[in-house]
Amino acid sequence: MCALVALVAWPLSYWLDNVNIVMIFLLNIVAVALLFGRRAAIAAAFLSVALFDFFFVPPKFSFSVNDGQYLVTFAVMLAVALTIGHLTTAVTQRADDAQQRADEQAGLYQLAQELAGALSLPQTVGAIHAFFRQQLNARSTILLPDESGELVISGHDATPASHHAKLTNAERSAARAVYETGTLMDSPKLGNDDGERLLLPLIGATRHRGVLIVAACEQTPQTLVSKTSMLRAVASLITTAIERLHYVEVANKTELEIQSERLRSGILAALSHDIRTPLTALYGLADTLVADTQIEKILIKETAVAIRDQSLQLNSMVTNLLDMARIQAGQITLRREWQPLDEVIGASIRFAAAACSQRHVIVELPPELPLVNIDAVLIERVLCNLLENASKYSPPNSEIRLVAHASTLEIAVSVRNPGSGFPADRLERMFLLFERGAQDGHVSGMGVGLAICRAVVEAHGGHISASNPTDGGACVTFTLPRGTPPPIDLEADAPSVSARP
Amino acid sequence: MNAGLATLLVVEDDAQIRRFVRHSLEREGFRVREAEAYATGLIDAGTIKPDVVILDLGLPDGDGKNFVRELRGWSQVPVLILSARSMETDKIEVLDAGADDYLTKPFSVGELLARVRALLRRGSRSPDTENALVRFGEVTVDMTRRLVLRADVPVHLTAIEYRLLVALIANANKVVTQRQLLRDVWGPSHVESSHYLRIYVSHLRQKLEINPTLPQHLLTEIGVGYRFTM
Repeated sequence: MCALVALVAWPLSYWLDNVNIVMIFLLNIVAVALLFGRRAAIAAAFLSVALFDFFFVPPKFSFSVNDGQYLVTFAVMLAVALTIGHLTTAVTQRADDAQQRADEQAGLYQLAQELAGALSLPQTVGAIHAFFRQQLNARSTILLPDESGELVISGHDATPASHHAKLTNAERSAARAVYETGTLMDSPKLGNDDGERLLLPLIGATRHRGVLIVAACEQTPQTLVSKTSMLRAVASLITTAIERLHYVEVANKTELEIQSERLRSGILAALSHDIRTPLTALYGLADTLVADTQIEKILIKETAVAIRDQSLQLNSMVTNLLDMARIQAGQITLRREWQPLDEVIGASIRFAAAACSQRHVIVELPPELPLVNIDAVLIERVLCNLLENASKYSPPNSEIRLVAHASTLEIAVSVRNPGSGFPADRLERMFLLFERGAQDGHVSGMGVGLAICRAVVEAHGGHISASNPTDGGACVTFTLPRGTPPPIDLEADAPSVSARP
Repeated sequence: MNAGLATLLVVEDDAQIRRFVRHSLEREGFRVREAEAYATGLIDAGTIKPDVVILDLGLPDGDGKNFVRELRGWSQVPVLILSARSMETDKIEVLDAGADDYLTKPFSVGELLARVRALLRRGSRSPDTENALVRFGEVTVDMTRRLVLRADVPVHLTAIEYRLLVALIANANKVVTQRQLLRDVWGPSHVESSHYLRIYVSHLRQKLEINPTLPQHLLTEIGVGYRFTM
């Protein structure tokens, strides 16, 4: 490049003074420093002085100098060239450093964002691996303690190099030491490939969470140690992400435990109160028959009737509890068949007849109800529970209305009674297990019926809701999806039986 | 047949249930024998030759289905099953294995007596004396002339509807599983097309019942089948 400048400057020397030729050489130093860096700039400085002396200073084509003044020129020229070269490369270096730091910042920022959004450990580990691959061209391994406190690899780096993601014994013991002491360790002699290894502890707020191992690939130019502060930042990001996942898990587990605890205590309360009450009545009623030798015949009959009614009530409670237990245990499988809804409705009314003995059940069905794909036994349980509830919560001789509507996508069935209605602030809660409408105690029950209804209806892909109609009473409506009934090939209606003698 | 001479075998492991079943049946003049286990029940069924067997489906020492299958190997004695609720599949299996009817626990004395009487009537009826004229509600079915009248007005039934009605009448007062009806009316290759059966039963109800939604004679036994009551 200096030779090129000498060549270009040669013809110009006829017009230009040697002072200006020096300027051109100096300009060239700036270019060399920008393009090739510090070493090239220093070399160019010396070469420029030599070329200037050789070509431009008389006598030309010789390193000897006639005018002693030029020695000063050479010295100044060399000093200026070296300074310019140094300053220029320093500026470039700084710009490069700034760019690299900006890249790292962007990478870190992106990693932080990904880690904040990660919902699972594999997702987190995947984001970390990707970060190290892209930013540092390095392989990363996350070691987390399992239940027994043993450090295990959490997710593998998916690069082709991952076949030696298995840890060597040396790596393992080094990781153990880092995990226990919480100090960083830099070692080039750990892995299979002798590449540089940096082991960083993941230090959480309450305890050490694990170890991050970063393994440099051989062609990586910079050393990992020079990146320590950035790697520490990454390690703390990873720790935060892992801790967050840990606490989410803990929270979920606690929530589950609270729920199952609530269920357990609910069942115990139900068993101890609602089952024991009819049992006490049964025992007492039977005992009056045993103890009272003078009892009148009419009283015997009355007592026996009471015993029978109490037993039936106890039976319906136990049935509901067992159904609920089966649903909760996930043992309910739907045996769905296409059937006319009115058949199930009719059977339910017949089944619930005893419970609805003093009420009038009015059924309003559209003439052409389509077939629905349902488990009839379970839908019958739903209807029976709704009818029994409607009867329990309404005065004698009232009307219970069972109405069905078909829309394009679903069939809605509602059961309505003219009773006092649901507590307005707890309409949604009525379908929770052991939730009771009336708390005044004159209506027996456990708060299981509606919970069963919801479980069954939702298993069918429908939904159920409670409402208090504006004109009074209480109403429960559930829907069933219509689906596509199988094609029906009805017989040709030709042979009339009655017409044949 | 004089019901007073009928002998019933109760195979049930719970002493209290045996006690009240025996008590209520004996009060009606039946002779009652008891067995409390699978093996003795089967032996008693062979030696006593009862007119009806009342069998608990939940015997601790054996499967009720196998009991019925073994029994059917050498006897056509009517079998009434006692079973707990929510065991619909078991009920269907034991009915298809040859049992005649079932009662869901807890059951009333009235239900028990009605089922036993219906089974005794069926057992005593020989095929050739079968009634040619069947009446229920306001409907009359004349089997010989294949004529169905409702309030003395002829009712138009399709061929399948008529076959279905006859199949139900043939099993009057006892439960018939969907499978049995499909096989009898549509043939053995149609036992899975249960929605056809439901549609035709619903047609029959429209034509013969006063209130098709709350039928009095063509009753649904949800999850099991149908029961035709006179």
